[in-house]
Amino acid sequence: MDRQKTKEEVIDALHGVASEMHDKMMKGNPPTMTLPVRSKSNIGFDKKLGVYKYGKKKTVRDATSLGSARQLLRALHISEFVEGMISDGKTSTLREMYYISEGWGHGKFSSQNESNGVSEDLEIVTKCLREDFGLRPEEDGARIIGNVTFEERNRRGDWMRINCRDDVGDSGYGVPYNVESEKLRMVEEDIDFVMAIETGGMFDRLVENGFDEEARCALVHLKGQPARSTRRIMRRMSDEWNKPILVFADCDPWSFRIYASIAYGAIKTAHISEYLATKEATYLGITADDILAYDLPSDDLTKQDLNALEAELSDPRFATGWWQEQIQLMQEIGKKAEQQSLAKYGLDFVTDTYLPEKLATMGITY
Amino acid sequence: MDPAERLASKQKQISISEFFEKNKHFLGFDTLQRSIITAVKEAVDNSLDACEESRILPEIRVEIQRLKGDRLRLITQDNGPGIPREDIENVFGKFLLGSRFHAIRQTRGQQGIGITGVVMYGQLTAGSKTKVISKISRDSSAVFVELGIDTRRNKATKSGESRDIWLDEKTSEPVPHGLKIETEMRAKYQRGRQSVHQYLRMTSIVNPHASISLIVRDRDGSTIEEDEWQRTTDRLPRVVSEIKPHPHGIQLGSLQRMLREAEERKMTSFLRHNFSGVSMRAAREILAEAGLDEGRSPKRISGDDAQGMINAFRKVKLLSPPTDCLSPIEDLLIKKGLSKAIDSRFASTITRNPKVTQGNPFQIEVGLVFGGDLSADGPIEVLRFANRVPLMYQQGGCLLTKALEAVDWKRYGLDHPGGKGIPKGPAAVLIHLASTNVQFTSEAKEAVSDNEEVFEEIRLAMLEVGRGLKGHLKKSSQRKKAREKFELINIILPEISKKSSEILSRDEPDLAPIITRIMDAVFCEEEMGWDDEKGLATCSITIYNYTARARAYTILAKWPEGDGTAISDNPLGGAKQAKGLWAWRLDTLNPGTATTIHFGVSGLRKGEWSDAEIFYRGNGEVIGASKIDEKLLEELRKSEALEAAEAELEQPKETIPQLKERAEDSEASQARPLVEGQTSLFGDFTTKDEMEVDE
Repeated sequence: MDRQKTKEEVIDALHGVASEMHDKMMKGNPPTMTLPVRSKSNIGFDKKLGVYKYGKKKTVRDATSLGSARQLLRALHISEFVEGMISDGKTSTLREMYYISEGWGHGKFSSQNESNGVSEDLEIVTKCLREDFGLRPEEDGARIIGNVTFEERNRRGDWMRINCRDDVGDSGYGVPYNVESEKLRMVEEDIDFVMAIETGGMFDRLVENGFDEEARCALVHLKGQPARSTRRIMRRMSDEWNKPILVFADCDPWSFRIYASIAYGAIKTAHISEYLATKEATYLGITADDILAYDLPSDDLTKQDLNALEAELSDPRFATGWWQEQIQLMQEIGKKAEQQSLAKYGLDFVTDTYLPEKLATMGITY
Repeated sequence: MDPAERLASKQKQISISEFFEKNKHFLGFDTLQRSIITAVKEAVDNSLDACEESRILPEIRVEIQRLKGDRLRLITQDNGPGIPREDIENVFGKFLLGSRFHAIRQTRGQQGIGITGVVMYGQLTAGSKTKVISKISRDSSAVFVELGIDTRRNKATKSGESRDIWLDEKTSEPVPHGLKIETEMRAKYQRGRQSVHQYLRMTSIVNPHASISLIVRDRDGSTIEEDEWQRTTDRLPRVVSEIKPHPHGIQLGSLQRMLREAEERKMTSFLRHNFSGVSMRAAREILAEAGLDEGRSPKRISGDDAQGMINAFRKVKLLSPPTDCLSPIEDLLIKKGLSKAIDSRFASTITRNPKVTQGNPFQIEVGLVFGGDLSADGPIEVLRFANRVPLMYQQGGCLLTKALEAVDWKRYGLDHPGGKGIPKGPAAVLIHLASTNVQFTSEAKEAVSDNEEVFEEIRLAMLEVGRGLKGHLKKSSQRKKAREKFELINIILPEISKKSSEILSRDEPDLAPIITRIMDAVFCEEEMGWDDEKGLATCSITIYNYTARARAYTILAKWPEGDGTAISDNPLGGAKQAKGLWAWRLDTLNPGTATTIHFGVSGLRKGEWSDAEIFYRGNGEVIGASKIDEKLLEELRKSEALEAAEAELEQPKETIPQLKERAEDSEASQARPLVEGQTSLFGDFTTKDEMEVDE
């Protein structure tokens, strides 16, 4: 599947935004911009796509208040800026655009958050990705180690072949911000599954213990809440190589959210969930069961943790029986545990005992 | 020696210094930090009082130098009348000498401990003599002298006295008159809410006629703190007259003393001559109530009878004491004083009419400033004053604070969590209690004690300034809204139009109908200014019609009408509607057009007029102005007409007090018929209360 839009399509979509404003004004009305309501209440499960998407609720931002009028003007400035970048074949970071906006007079941003927000608005309205706009996030993508081979087009425009086991150091292959086919090709693989790992410490432990070769898998370091490109490359590995994605994270409410964003999409990026989310992703651990079964060192849940768990109980993304059980069990025992608490039983326990046992329950043996 | 004798001789030796040591907490010398504040306070209060009495605009300099250890040198200098050579010892050397101790009127200090305490404290803690330079204008030279206190004899000791020309250190000019005091003491200089700086800052607020400067130097001569508060008015506080005590405020002991010292032969005369508010009729009623014969000699009244009189005072209807013994700061000067010390956006001040509690006249003044440099987090600053003297300690226990806390500030736009305690927000509140007898909770004189009438007066004053604040906040939020809309239609919308047309390579749309849609209202904006050339405070009021229909309005503006002020430079003319309210009838305003009213007010100084309230008469809403309340306006006009009518009758009315005096004098010399004759002459103009005088 390739969802990359052509330059012309992107520019047309952006002109659509300007056109809505211009048309309204020609009729003597204040200019407007129509976009979906971006809140939890307007996120629904798309059965066809198997991910969570924005619903039908629309909101019209019109220029009758100073704040909204400024947003419209900014959207126009971004449109113009993006159009310029597309025709010059350039990209910029969101931060760079924030600084460039200094020259936009009354359309300039007063904070980076504001510029990120308006770019997201434009993505949603135009149904383009910010990669289409040539806008890069500041955060870097994940690291990958394992016997998979990609071809990445480098800055000279040449395709480079990289095997993520043989051609990289211990820090692995760094995932670029754009992992669409124009930039990254999935060449070949010799793995049975992909394991996404929340913390760097655990990623390094598995690398040091040679787990990728032993268990025939690709290890992906998520770096906390995964960047868009990290989620997108996992989605492509799932789609194009048909590999199971297993998520190995801490046992706490925030880690559950990391999983949900991989499997179902995040609220912030619900407009592109069908490109980012991998509905086949499975939560491997650590589960509340594991805390009890392995008698793991644990911490008490804080007030914020408990609030987050409560919110997750009503989150449509955690509406399955298994998740409800896990969340309730966790509320009951009032504990959370880190991945690295497995070290209680020695450095090799995770690769020798824990992971083989967990994988076996999923029908993966090696 | 007999134990009793020994005890007696010992008692004699209890010196004034021991008295000082024992009582230093209520003399203000209990901590090292407070001692320097008290010392400055005594010196500055004396200077202000002396200048006021001599009708001199005060220039006061305070300098503090840090010395070795816990020692400070305090130097104060004023341009007051100075002290004649022969009086210096008395002024600086004796406790409880103050001449004002028995007088009933509003004064800063109320007891004569004052500057003597400072001399004493310096001597006790630093072994230092107090250097005094005094120059009175009729002498050609100044007196230089060093003072100590003979604590056994409660007397000052002079040494090193000389006469010389006194040259001012700053200007090197001879000083025409003034006083300089220099003394060393154990004390600590600190900054903050309870500091010399804060004391002087507060003093300058309530003494806008004074120029005060402060410099604090470290041991090496470097400056630690420096500030200067210039006078904002050349008007000295009015001279207050002394009044006789009112029966409602008298204690048994004082009454007995007055009876003993009385020169009158008859009780009726005694009562009428020694008390205020007692008419002939009232005197007779009091005596009848107390069962005393009118002709009895005051000297022979027993303690029981005196108590009977005290009881009778409560039962007989008496006139209130006169209130011209009070010296309020007055609201305009409070405003000036506050804005000198605090940079703010808004100031609302009120001077209430004098009232009486327990025979003592008092008057409440409140000022509130908001916004500007004031810190938005934390409680507001409370500035308490009693008779123009800052109160800096015991804020929580003070009546003035309690009355402030009793107001529901949330209603007036301040954060007031739970409706309790000091409200929060970028504001400061000044409360001034002027009274002939301020009742404090303790001898330390830092907190005013509870009193229902005073409490109620403060509360009412607070509500008044609170309403002012509420109006201001509403106005500024409307103004903000209007400014935003203007920015929207004048800047952002044209840019959206330009940019979208550029992106699409299309023609630009016509914005006029869009602007009408977005605004759909009439806006009013006023701008205050100052015309330097003509010396006019100016005001421009612009009305914008951003609706789709033509509009017609009458615009009304409040202006500071008063003695000496007048409207000028007013091309649109208009007419007076009521006192301080001018109206202009505007031509029809077509959609999308604007018109401006411009006028000036003469007789004001720059900055005196910073806020014009705008009203309108007409249909729909005008953002930035309030609809005139026609009923209120009608009432206002009626009461003005009434006042004007009364003013015509004022002339004969004003002779009544003089008449009363003459009448009483003649009564004293047994010439009663004359009194009655005069009564009938002005009978037409006397009101019920004044009838009492003449009975």
